Amino acid sequence: MSGVLVVAEARRGELRDVSLELISAALSVKDQAGGRVAVAVIDQQPDRFVDQLAVDGVDEVLLVPTPTEHFEAHVAGRALTELIAAESPSLVLLGFTIDSLGFAPAVAAKQGLGFASDAISLGWDGGPIVARGAYGDKLVSELEFPGKETTVVLLRAGGFEPAQAGGAAPATRTVELSLDGVAKTEHLGFQEAESADVDITKSEFLLSIGRGVEDKDNIPRFEELAEKLGATLSSSRPLVDAGWMPSARQVGQSGKTVKPRVYLALGISGAVQHLAGMRTAETIIAVNTDPEAPIFGVATYGAVADMFELADELEQQF
Amino acid sequence: MPRDPKYDILFEPIQLGPKTLKNRFYQVPHCIGAGSEKPGFQAYHRGIKAEGGWGACCTEYCSIHPESDDTMRVSARIWDEGDVRNLAAMCDRLHEYGALAGIELWYGGPHAPCHESRATPRGPSQIASDFELNTFPRYMDKDDIATVQQMYVDAAIRARDAGFDIVYVYGAHAYLPFQFLAPYYNHRTDEYGGSFENRARFWRESLIKVREAVGDDCAIASRFAVDHLLGPSSIEVGEDGIRFVEYCDDLVDLWDFTVGDIAEWGQNAGPSRFFEENHEKPYTGQIKAGDHTNKPVVGVGRITNPDTMVAIINSGQFDIIGAARPSISDPFLPNKIDEGRLDDIRECIGCNQCISRWEIGGPPMVCTQNATAGEEYRRGWHPEKFHKAANADKGVLVVGAGPAGMECAMVLGKRQMSAVHLVEAEKEIGGAVNWISQLGHSDGKENLHRGAARGLGEWKRIVNYRQIQLDKLRNVEVHTGSRLNASDVLEYGAEIVVIATGCHYATDGLNAATHEPLPGADASLDWQLTPDQVVAGQKTIGKRVLVLDNEAYYMGASIAQKLAGEGHEVYLLTQAGDIAGYMEYTLEAPMLHRDLHRLGVSIHPYTMVSSFEPGVAHAYNVWNPGHTEDFEIDSVVLCTARISNDELYRELKSDPARLEQEGIEGLYLIGGAAAPRMLVDSIFDGHRLAREIDSPHPEMPLPFIRERRLWGESSNEDYAAQLLNTADVA
Amino acid sequence: MKIVVPVKQVAALDDEFELLDDGSGVDPDFLEFDLNEWDAFSLEVALQLREASDDGSEVVAVTVGDEESEEALLSCLAKGADRAVRVSDDDLATDDPLTVARVLAAAVERESADLVLCGVQSSDAVNGATGVALAGYLDLPHVAVVKALEHENGSVVVDRELEGGLVERLRIGLPALLTIQTGINQPRYANLRAIKQAREKPLDVVEAGELGLDQDALAAAAGSRRRGLSPPDRGEGAEMMSGGVDEMAARIAEIVRERMSG
Repeated sequence: MSGVLVVAEARRGELRDVSLELISAALSVKDQAGGRVAVAVIDQQPDRFVDQLAVDGVDEVLLVPTPTEHFEAHVAGRALTELIAAESPSLVLLGFTIDSLGFAPAVAAKQGLGFASDAISLGWDGGPIVARGAYGDKLVSELEFPGKETTVVLLRAGGFEPAQAGGAAPATRTVELSLDGVAKTEHLGFQEAESADVDITKSEFLLSIGRGVEDKDNIPRFEELAEKLGATLSSSRPLVDAGWMPSARQVGQSGKTVKPRVYLALGISGAVQHLAGMRTAETIIAVNTDPEAPIFGVATYGAVADMFELADELEQQF
Repeated sequence: MPRDPKYDILFEPIQLGPKTLKNRFYQVPHCIGAGSEKPGFQAYHRGIKAEGGWGACCTEYCSIHPESDDTMRVSARIWDEGDVRNLAAMCDRLHEYGALAGIELWYGGPHAPCHESRATPRGPSQIASDFELNTFPRYMDKDDIATVQQMYVDAAIRARDAGFDIVYVYGAHAYLPFQFLAPYYNHRTDEYGGSFENRARFWRESLIKVREAVGDDCAIASRFAVDHLLGPSSIEVGEDGIRFVEYCDDLVDLWDFTVGDIAEWGQNAGPSRFFEENHEKPYTGQIKAGDHTNKPVVGVGRITNPDTMVAIINSGQFDIIGAARPSISDPFLPNKIDEGRLDDIRECIGCNQCISRWEIGGPPMVCTQNATAGEEYRRGWHPEKFHKAANADKGVLVVGAGPAGMECAMVLGKRQMSAVHLVEAEKEIGGAVNWISQLGHSDGKENLHRGAARGLGEWKRIVNYRQIQLDKLRNVEVHTGSRLNASDVLEYGAEIVVIATGCHYATDGLNAATHEPLPGADASLDWQLTPDQVVAGQKTIGKRVLVLDNEAYYMGASIAQKLAGEGHEVYLLTQAGDIAGYMEYTLEAPMLHRDLHRLGVSIHPYTMVSSFEPGVAHAYNVWNPGHTEDFEIDSVVLCTARISNDELYRELKSDPARLEQEGIEGLYLIGGAAAPRMLVDSIFDGHRLAREIDSPHPEMPLPFIRERRLWGESSNEDYAAQLLNTADVA
Repeated sequence: MKIVVPVKQVAALDDEFELLDDGSGVDPDFLEFDLNEWDAFSLEVALQLREASDDGSEVVAVTVGDEESEEALLSCLAKGADRAVRVSDDDLATDDPLTVARVLAAAVERESADLVLCGVQSSDAVNGATGVALAGYLDLPHVAVVKALEHENGSVVVDRELEGGLVERLRIGLPALLTIQTGINQPRYANLRAIKQAREKPLDVVEAGELGLDQDALAAAAGSRRRGLSPPDRGEGAEMMSGGVDEMAARIAEIVRERMSG
């Protein structure tokens, strides 16, 4: 057993960005894992993504054609099971995504593999080791996989720089598997979510504004910015207190506790009550004119800047 | 949880002359209605704050002589040994907790009408008070000046003997020393008038005399309005304000800075509707930061946020965080910061109900957020301590999570009832507060004087605080989006049922002026609305709107402000002598009037509607019904009467046999569901029931201690006995 | 139709807490326990399906854990579950989703369920994997992260919630296992009477050993082993950006794009 198998992810004919992060992660442990990284594409037309997977250090791209047009959990599960049997990797990397959650745990359970979900970092100590959050991310738990010949790890997006494609064309190999009749679900269609949703606890990207907004008349300015960025607008308590924002948009102890992928805080100083509601965000970017603002204590990234000037510049970026 | 080190500075001691203040939390002088005549109230109210960590607590303004008598408003008094004895009770209580006791020595001049003492106040010039329009002072010659200064000295000595640590010569709010300083009041041409030094002479001499008398034993403080807010005609901070501080800096151990005067003291005790936290900073912040004093400075600004407090000290605005309203709303504010329990802080909402009841002149001070304020002694209520109920094994259902229901469920939870279910029909808890807190805005533009209408958003803190507390109580479950009917309640399995279903605005124009519905009034029509319908925004409102306000508190005026701010032509009618009369007591009225006037709202007091027809409201003058006026209008807002939502209670109560069969031992009605009232009183009602849920008849309030003089020869002994008997109440 | 609803008593950490001396976990004094939020929704789906059917459906709540975890089952019984089963084993490493799934599988297998409804994840461990792992052990067809569901004789049509708000509609035949997302319904609550009466409903306790699971079998099932528990690196302060506002904005845009992808 050796090497790393990355399972790329595609949806509706597009490779999902997490795939390149997984390749970075795989390359980071490639030598310890036995010196080989293969990338599997399980898709109706797997060869269409080969160019995007041309990353230096990837030894081979395994093309696994499926009879189903869209992701199907049982087809993906059977494919992964057979790939593991055939390729014998020590480590299988997938994204901590809705698709992966739909089949990888079942494969790991049935095959008796090592398994970790929502890993935030990856290392090696005789075998893979991962870190993941515990107790609602208030603690970090480090896991190992003793006695497991193959371990499946679902990696949280955002932890690794995406690998740069554009290297030499990788070696490819088509792996034909008998997947007919494996599907247990029938695809009936896709729907875009309704945009009227204002449940800030469900949003993956929150643009949150605070006292720095200064005036009610400035709120629409940030509503527009949020829309342009594809973010949901939320706020700290003073704006709700002032009646400038509805209470459904309030983040904090007396408002909602949120856990978006990105929390972009503009003009929020970070009162304790507010921090309690947002410190669980995966990535926190704080913008404030006061370099001593407490929010910088919990932020991942900080910028000392005027929120209005920054908003103008940010708008240019999207 | 230990204190966050960033708040350490708030807990550093500071020297005030001969006294050491143990931390930076200071309850500035503020009225409660206790004075020297309700010593239990005085001692226990201030004492609770000392227990909660305040480093010093002061009396309210304290009259130094019967010539300064503010009746019907209640001040403290230190006229004689009896007052010394009564106020000593407060000092003793504060000293038990290591807090300093301060006394604010006051001579009101023409602002004190002397209705009880029948005395004649003296003043620098003979001009009547700007609000006690018939109170003229007697002109003070030099003998009078010496006499009044001796009154300060005698009072200071009595204060020291009572146990006070900090003695004020109170000059803020345009009382006597300030009247000498301000040319607005002082038209003299002798050495006490004219030049700055002459105008400052009375105050400076008074400080010198008081300092000589008690300065070795007590810290000498002065409260000074650094800006009269009247522009160049009076004291401005950049001119005489700074000059005065520098001139008298050698004579004080503590400066207590404010702004404005008592005639419009809402500029100082700013309601949240118009003023945000630390709103006095542009004035009071200049002095320390500009290096114009070497003495410790305390100041206020409804400061509830510990981060603001730290910023105030670090920026050199003040050395000490002063508070009146925040200390009423949460007497344990300092301890909660010290213990890292920021989420337990019960923040002042700036509604100024506390002030209103004092302004009215009779009842004890109240607080919307803290139902125990004023009840520390007479009912023995402690804001943070709750006894386990004798019937704590019972399960309780509270129907309705408005102000009364939230408070009741929270207190029942703290009293360790086995299970409390708070069930709310709407998606969010909060009841009427949720829509009321969206009012109070107009167009956001600045008014004359200071500030713009900020709205009532901070009133939402009523909900926020209770939500956090309810979340923490493991024995309380809150269920929203669930409307219960009578059979749901009967089959709920609760032994105690509390109905807190609130109230609603009448849709037919029923009102306090005519005691009947109004012909033509019907809020189910497109063009007629109740106030909550205005906020809900479901109906289109026409260009010309008539707001009929029969309550004369904030609702009618707030609707008028909102609609005028949105560009409507608004007529505001009331049968009363003034729109929003109660807002005089909450000090919101002056700013409100400026806003309504600037917005062009057409105001019609003493005017009542007789009937509505599409497009027209027929109205008349209440003193002369023959004097009629028609208003051509497109829409109508009916702020007429409110009506209890008590159908559920009535239905349950109508079948006592069924209640018994289902095991319901107690059925109670609280808050607006019992009778429409102000938020402060609804919350009190919910609190009161929960505090007394294990009394023999919880629906009947238990008697409270009345601090009154008992008739008869042994009255003094009785009184002393009463004091002794109640010493361990809290 | 028989519906089995596996549930979990979750632990929420107080703001201030202490670790056990050996670093293997949190001192239980600092934990507050409650029914996992997601499980309230899966239970509600089950109860609604039972109410909509007229075939005498049964809803069975199952959990793995110590005696305290019976609170979660009592909560389900109070809300309307017909009976409950607790698999008892004080030594179970309940953080490991495969171990939990293995134990659940042994208990659920005995029930011959038509539908197994799990929460998407638990709020404390946040693996999002236990339900689908259970499907793996039971060889049941499965769909994860379901935000809408309709039962049509013998099959269900479900909406699967994907990243970025996209929804995929699928049909799956029964028997099957679904993991249910919050917001799919409004979970009911139990009144005081139902809470009292829940104690009268059947609640079976079975030892893992009775289900044929010895310590070796469980050890073999475990997907991972915890090496240690430590506070996160957070709170050391942000990585501060330098340069002009335009450069900061560009950097922020880059971070947002990177984090929102995948």
